[in-house]
Amino acid sequence: MKNTLRQVLHSGKFMVGFVILLTILLVVLVYPLIIKDSPLGIIGQGTFFPPGIYVSTYDSLNAPKQYTLLLTDAAAKRIANKMSNDDRLAMKEWLVADGVPASEIDVTKTASLLDLWEKNYDPKKNIPGMIFAKVRYYQRVNTSVQGLLSTEGAIIASKNAQTGALEQASTINQSDYVNLSQVANVRVLPLGTDNFGRDVLTELIRATGVSLEIGLVAGIVATLIGLSLGLLSGYVGGMVDDVIMFFTNLFTVIPSIVLLILISFSIGQDQRGAFTIAVVIGFTSWVWTARAVRAQVVSLRNRDHVNLSKLSGHSIVHIIIYDILPYIASYVVMALILQISSAILIEAGLSILGLGPRTTEVPTLGLMMNWAMIYQAEILGKWWAYFPVLIVIALITFSMNLMNTGLDQVFNPALRD
Amino acid sequence: MRKTIPIWVAITLIATIVLSACAPQATPTAAPTSAPVSAAPTSAPVAAPTTAPVVQPTTPPTAVPTEAPVAPGAPLPRSETLYFNGQQWGSVVCWNPYSSNCNNAMAIAQQDNSRVTMFETPYLYDMLDGKQYPLLADGPWAWNADKTAITFKLKKAAHWSDGTPVTADDVAYTWASNVKYGTNPGVNFKDYIDTITAVDPQTVEVKAKLDANGKAVNPLQVFSYLSNAYVIQKAWTQKLEARTGGDATKFLADPADDVVFSGPYHKFFADDTKVVLIRDDNYWGKDASMFGKLPAPKYLAHVIYKDNAAGTTALQAGEVDVSQQFNANVQDLWLKDNLPISTYLPDAPYMIGASLPTAFFNMASYGLDQLAVRKAIAIAVDYNTIIANAMTNQSPTFAQVPRSLMNPTPGEQALYDQSAVKDLQFAGNDIAGAKKLLDDAGIKVGPDGWRYYKGKKLTYVATCPNGWSDWQAAIEVVAAAGKAIGIDITTNYPEWSVYQTQVTNWPLPNKNFDIFMMWSDGAGPTQPWGRIDHLLNSKYAQTKSNWNGNWGGYKNPDADALINAIPSETDPAKLKADYTQLVKIYLTDIPSFTLMYRPQSFHTVNESVWTTFPHQNDGTNPAVPPLDLTDGWSIAGLYNLTLVKK
Amino acid sequence: MKGYRAYFLNKLLWLLVTFVFAFLLNFTLPRLMPGDPVAAIVSRLAQGMSNSTGMKEVYEHYAALFGTNKPILDQFFLYVVNVLHGNFGESFSQFPRPVADIIKSSILWTIGLQFPAIIVGWIIGNALGAIAAYLKGGFDKVLLPVSIFISNLPAFGMAIILLVMFGVDLKWFPTSGGYGFDLIPNFSWNFIWSVIVHYQLPFWSIVLIAIGGQAIGMRSMSIYELNADYIKYSRFMGINDRKIIGYVFRNAMLPQVTGLALSIGTMVGGALFAEIIFSYPGLGYTLYNGILGQDYPLISGATLIITMMVLIANFAIELLYGVIDPRIKAAQAD
Repeated sequence: MKNTLRQVLHSGKFMVGFVILLTILLVVLVYPLIIKDSPLGIIGQGTFFPPGIYVSTYDSLNAPKQYTLLLTDAAAKRIANKMSNDDRLAMKEWLVADGVPASEIDVTKTASLLDLWEKNYDPKKNIPGMIFAKVRYYQRVNTSVQGLLSTEGAIIASKNAQTGALEQASTINQSDYVNLSQVANVRVLPLGTDNFGRDVLTELIRATGVSLEIGLVAGIVATLIGLSLGLLSGYVGGMVDDVIMFFTNLFTVIPSIVLLILISFSIGQDQRGAFTIAVVIGFTSWVWTARAVRAQVVSLRNRDHVNLSKLSGHSIVHIIIYDILPYIASYVVMALILQISSAILIEAGLSILGLGPRTTEVPTLGLMMNWAMIYQAEILGKWWAYFPVLIVIALITFSMNLMNTGLDQVFNPALRD
Repeated sequence: MRKTIPIWVAITLIATIVLSACAPQATPTAAPTSAPVSAAPTSAPVAAPTTAPVVQPTTPPTAVPTEAPVAPGAPLPRSETLYFNGQQWGSVVCWNPYSSNCNNAMAIAQQDNSRVTMFETPYLYDMLDGKQYPLLADGPWAWNADKTAITFKLKKAAHWSDGTPVTADDVAYTWASNVKYGTNPGVNFKDYIDTITAVDPQTVEVKAKLDANGKAVNPLQVFSYLSNAYVIQKAWTQKLEARTGGDATKFLADPADDVVFSGPYHKFFADDTKVVLIRDDNYWGKDASMFGKLPAPKYLAHVIYKDNAAGTTALQAGEVDVSQQFNANVQDLWLKDNLPISTYLPDAPYMIGASLPTAFFNMASYGLDQLAVRKAIAIAVDYNTIIANAMTNQSPTFAQVPRSLMNPTPGEQALYDQSAVKDLQFAGNDIAGAKKLLDDAGIKVGPDGWRYYKGKKLTYVATCPNGWSDWQAAIEVVAAAGKAIGIDITTNYPEWSVYQTQVTNWPLPNKNFDIFMMWSDGAGPTQPWGRIDHLLNSKYAQTKSNWNGNWGGYKNPDADALINAIPSETDPAKLKADYTQLVKIYLTDIPSFTLMYRPQSFHTVNESVWTTFPHQNDGTNPAVPPLDLTDGWSIAGLYNLTLVKK
Repeated sequence: MKGYRAYFLNKLLWLLVTFVFAFLLNFTLPRLMPGDPVAAIVSRLAQGMSNSTGMKEVYEHYAALFGTNKPILDQFFLYVVNVLHGNFGESFSQFPRPVADIIKSSILWTIGLQFPAIIVGWIIGNALGAIAAYLKGGFDKVLLPVSIFISNLPAFGMAIILLVMFGVDLKWFPTSGGYGFDLIPNFSWNFIWSVIVHYQLPFWSIVLIAIGGQAIGMRSMSIYELNADYIKYSRFMGINDRKIIGYVFRNAMLPQVTGLALSIGTMVGGALFAEIIFSYPGLGYTLYNGILGQDYPLISGATLIITMMVLIANFAIELLYGVIDPRIKAAQAD
């Protein structure tokens, strides 16, 4: 036993898989201890905020100390942020269409370009042949370049409590800075928010936990069923074997996805908790374990030590526990690992079809995927809402399968290179 | 070994690329065929195809029907086809205008803004100004002196696709058939319309059903029929009757491939992946008495997309010109992707809101009979979050359009006195106010942090159908509001098949059905009366098979009296007072509360090929509403379209 | 030949028994669903209807039409009769269109997509697995983890990645549908080309998933065979390498064929996702529409057809296996 364990620990594949899985598990367990936010709490008013650091504008203005930094490229950056090269070219296009000679327009000279723009642009002017989306584009450009070259600060005004009139409270100069650590409210959203305005990272970590739980429950259910049926079928034989194998073969050929769809649909959404889904998945994916266990048991059944045990008058239960199980234990562990990983995949698949667990009790990887797709994250380029989910799913199943392959090579020396 | 994993991942990706690159690459199938646009619309229909963008050696020209459509297998000429999405989900079943079950969204929809591509109504409703404009009809309709019958004339030019004129007899026979076979218009209007008769071939008289006092039961419904129900040819209807032997089921289930129509388009092609309508170049509407020309696109095509995402992808790719589906974060399409896509309004809410998705309180649930509880929940809900997240800002906020019973169109907003109800128009997210309200009502927080009413904990389930994503997102926000004020609200989403059986049959389930969402009426000729009737009228409360409204079981005789009086009311001042009073009752009693505004159509257009779509202040008069150029008066927009100059 | 006939009859009997059982499941499961399916279609018809008595008439009409007001046994016989007539009853979401008609228009797309993809995936996977086992070294070290990684991406994940990379970002391939959005189906080069182009992304998303699993299996089997005593003996005897490899792969192949028969159900399940993600007009897409539309005759019909397809494919593979497996050949000689 010790020896096997050492071999297992020396298997590179197993260890890589194990370390990945362990890391995921650790994150799932430790993260909620540090960040105590509710994984389903709606914090964003709006959908799919991109990943980044969110600094309270209000608190920045009211930060205890304002610093002045005289940076030479600040103005250029400010302009570039509001006016891209494409915008400049488009402005030129409008001016030319309006009758300004192209030779007079130099898109690289911001001041002269803006000057021409201000003189000539009229939002109400109709340029023949221009599509409406473009007309609105120019209106937006016009708004965004307003006052771009101003060197004045912004005035902060507040309402006088008595008169209701606006009174100047302070001025923010263009060279004013705040230190991030002095701003009262800064929120880091490493993976942005989702369509509900939830913090994706917090949700993802909780979802990973739930999906692992689903996988574990489904894996245990499937393995238990498969193991009992396989043992019964292989060891008892005869009629029992025939009947069990009949059903096993039956469920092998009927596509399990079809069964899952039919069953999940029949249960109805209000009954589909995460646990229910896990059990359903378990009940539809035991066949492979049953087949494999039976094959092993059949080959063990007539070994000497089993026969000896029989002769000694041990009960069937005793023989199965002491003389058969230890020999197939490694196999059962491997089967369990595979069941867990496939259950996680199946949950995700069912959720994509809209047949996953009840939506808002807990997040699962599949549900996150499903909602991201309902709100079209994949085609609108909101990668943070679905790609990390895919990666986590792939990492979990990958690590488990690596572990499995590693174990396989340890237990089947013939497979070693 | 661990170090090499990223390399393997990289190699995987490379391998993937290489493998896929081995496959034959796509030619840009979406490339617009730059066919000459010289097709003279008035030319004889038997003319040879003016566009032959692809050489077709294998296809003999014998199969070309009279209108010289595109050769089989060749792409529809892009510059003659207007592509839609979001109307047709699933395959077309039939072309029978009497059936409500054809799943034929491009051709058949009899509603407040009826779709008039293939079949036509006497009048066209314009959602923006609330008026009805004549289509088959000639000039405005008129009530008789005692307001019991409406008379209108038909246009002389109007004719069927077989060339015969549209007559008053057709209108009368359509109504008779609607009633006889129990079609949707028949069932809907038979309580309000008594008979429709032909005075002479050009003149139709619609007689209203009268109540005990000899007055029309509901005058609003009578003229609403004129822009709601199609006129169907009598001769064809008789043919259909002969074929089906007068059996109502067969009559309604007939696929009607031979149907005679009066509209500008008809079937060209339909299968599981698309529907294409082709223009009838003999369409009567090119007569000077109507549009004076033919609509611009020769084909109206709708590819059947699996879901919104597929539809949005196609819109981005320029494969869709007019989109009628929820494109989440629609502004990204032009702000981020720089695509030539626009909506009716330049900024949020982008669309014109028309209906009021509403959360109802189950009046029979424990504690919800208490006004304080209902009001506390309603004022605690964060509507801004609902609008920003569930609708991605494609709804006006309640700061922009304060809540009432009216939709955000200017016509309806003008119907009540805003200042009179200002104090009642709560804006939401008023957690402190809600808590105070409950405390004052003696509904205090217990030791476990939840509120108790007469010793029993207040715990509710908020619900809507599963998969209705924007509603589900909204219900989540409602539940969050409950938690914030100490009322335990959880959510539950049954499948629609379960949900709709429960919601339409009183009593509502005593579990899992305390706060629930349903729709309310959109824009139409009977609005806002129809919407208010459905939201508040006691006659629908606590009934079975109730598809009308007031599902929460609210009863208020004062409201009933006002609702019943409005249809016959003619004095605008009195009307305004009545509506204001109803809004006051609604916002005081809070039997239900609106969560957001929803547009009639999510009209979004891509100007890659076509341009001059309707948009705000586009100068059209009467203004063309943003209803996809197919519904009601919006069809006028089809005649304004021009091609983008390349 | 007698042995083979017995084998054939045995398999055929098995096919029929499985089918009957699948059929029963298929009938029963959707009918356990809570809620009233007829009400679902009535509600769709009734949108915009404002008359309660009218609603009730419509409801009763359809309840009678679908037979949902009859005892379950009668419904079962009705269903059997319908299936025997080959029409599976009428769809709820596309009423009055028969389910058979809907399935008919999608089944060819599915067969055309899935079976070539699965076979190609299987062949490429096996070839890669065999080469990895034979060459060992770097190729093997790279191939195995890559295969494991790819085969562990969820089926829809692979489809989404391909969709985003090649459809949305690079715009090399169209993202949805079975043929061009502007085409009318027709036997012309233009149309066929469009079909081929639309075929690529769903096809490769299925193939890539299939390759990984097969390669791992084949690699293991090949290594096992390469290490077997008879190979060592043959090498020792000086039989040329090519011949030995022939033996190895033949022997390693046989379990892979069985594996294909057994896993074809799973593969078809995965391939359904490719159809859904790419809006490919096949059965997976039809099934998805059925689920969205709460259309249980359609769900029943589609799942039954998918099961039948898998059963028949399985049957075919087993027949083939009977021909190539030497042991069964040996039995035939008796």
